[in-house]
Amino acid sequence: MEQTEVVKPETLDDLIKVLHKIFESDTINIEEVQNIVEAYESKPQEWMKFAKFDQYRYTRNLVDEGNGKFNLMILCWGEGHGSSIHDHTDSHCFMKLLQGQLKETLFEWPDRKSHGDMVQKSQRILLENQCAYINDSIGLHRVENVSHTECAASLHLYSPPFQYCQTFDQRTGHKNTVKMTFWSRFGEKTPFVTVSEKQFRSCGSC
Amino acid sequence: MELFPRITKGNPVLVLSRLQLCDLNLDHVGEEQKRQIQQLYLTYNSFSLFPTSICLLSNLEHLDLSNNYLTAMPEDITRLANLKTLVAKNNHFDETSFPKHFGTMHIESLNLSGNRFREIPRQFLKLSRLLSLSLGGNRLKSIPAEIENLNRLEMLYLGGNMISSIPPELANLRCLRYLVLCDNCVQSIPPQLSRLHSLLSLSLHNNLLTFLPREILSLVHLQELSLRGNPLVVRFIKDMTYDPPSLLELAGRTIKSRNLPYLPSDLPANLCHYLDMASKCPNPKCAGVYFDSCVRHIKFVDFCGKFRLPLMHYLCSPECSSPCSSNPQSDTESEEESSVPADRLQRVLLG
Repeated sequence: MEQTEVVKPETLDDLIKVLHKIFESDTINIEEVQNIVEAYESKPQEWMKFAKFDQYRYTRNLVDEGNGKFNLMILCWGEGHGSSIHDHTDSHCFMKLLQGQLKETLFEWPDRKSHGDMVQKSQRILLENQCAYINDSIGLHRVENVSHTECAASLHLYSPPFQYCQTFDQRTGHKNTVKMTFWSRFGEKTPFVTVSEKQFRSCGSC
Repeated sequence: MELFPRITKGNPVLVLSRLQLCDLNLDHVGEEQKRQIQQLYLTYNSFSLFPTSICLLSNLEHLDLSNNYLTAMPEDITRLANLKTLVAKNNHFDETSFPKHFGTMHIESLNLSGNRFREIPRQFLKLSRLLSLSLGGNRLKSIPAEIENLNRLEMLYLGGNMISSIPPELANLRCLRYLVLCDNCVQSIPPQLSRLHSLLSLSLHNNLLTFLPREILSLVHLQELSLRGNPLVVRFIKDMTYDPPSLLELAGRTIKSRNLPYLPSDLPANLCHYLDMASKCPNPKCAGVYFDSCVRHIKFVDFCGKFRLPLMHYLCSPECSSPCSSNPQSDTESEEESSVPADRLQRVLLG
């Protein structure tokens, strides 16, 4: 498979341009994308306008819609904020640390028959600028900012984009479908939703 | 939560971070200029002694000394009459570090996470204007009852300590919106916490909880609740410890449940008092009463239709239970009156 020359993206805009080019093709080389995303050295001045934190939970802030081929977003994690265990609806998921650290815990898909605790596969701490990759065939994961003193920010790329995912109860493997929403789009805070819509504005994911 | 200080007109901000500073000399700064500085950032330096020249910045409102090697806060800090926000994360402060009169300051936001506090200093509990207190990642073993003195508190972050119990007085913080107790050793939640009517988010993950008090259902504004990493009871446990009632209790129960009439002149005062202490069995289908002897019963309740939370309540005897629990295989019982509608709880991070 042909690989685009890996030129280090100097700025976030460079990275976005390169990603647009890569995703013009119908198939992608996972390693290539991971390397390019990892090569971008996080410069807060370039992304801070997207990094809108919420006191109570982590936020998802849309950066670019990738011509419909991918969604690029920045997740902002306050101290102690974590996600549910979730899947990625048959999409590729790339996650790069822009600031701080995040703990990623991988889980096996729960067996239809089993009713006990979900099986943990592995755990790691992702450091600044590192880029992780996951898809449904690899497994499920939970992402958490375990720091009580620092917040964290991460850049996520999903291809193809998806609006729903499943979340899992670690103790039972019981699953639930949830709709994901954006706290902000392109640097603008999304308007608050009405009470009835709030039911679905839950659980978020990677 | 912002990562970077905002520099806006008329709000002079001085950033002197990551400069390997050990001290700060402001002699060359004129009086006029000193009065103009409202925000000062001295993060990621090498301060082991507090730079007292800071105390001359009379209009200082925001001070961030995070990531240094400070061990003590000087008396003179109280000269900063306009200081509203004090952040000093990741230093070497402990409960002896702060001056006696620190509590007189008008600080609204205090963040001392990542230090060495083994207890919350008394002075902190006198900060009557405090809206936000963070002592995450310290060595706290308990929360003092006097926490209730911080009656304007909206945010309390105590995650990452060694706290094993929560004082019921915490429930008197009527303005509290965000309570973080994750990564501690909490074994039980006092039912009084249901009085925290303003609470929007409660973080309890990674503790030692096996159940929750049923009163938690009355936290009507709660939108976020994290419970993962607790040894929460999953299966319904039918056989609970039960101490058989004493003769006194059996007599008392008979009098109460059959409404046998009695006058204060009929009984010694201590027995009248005892009869007054009867508790009605919380099972709405039961008319029984109990005094001291009761069965702890863990009920599973549908929480916004998704998860089942083990809740604790007391019954008058092991025989007393709602009809559907007669099936010993059942671990999915729920009561209509205990269900919390989905729109009342946006997100329960249970697993």
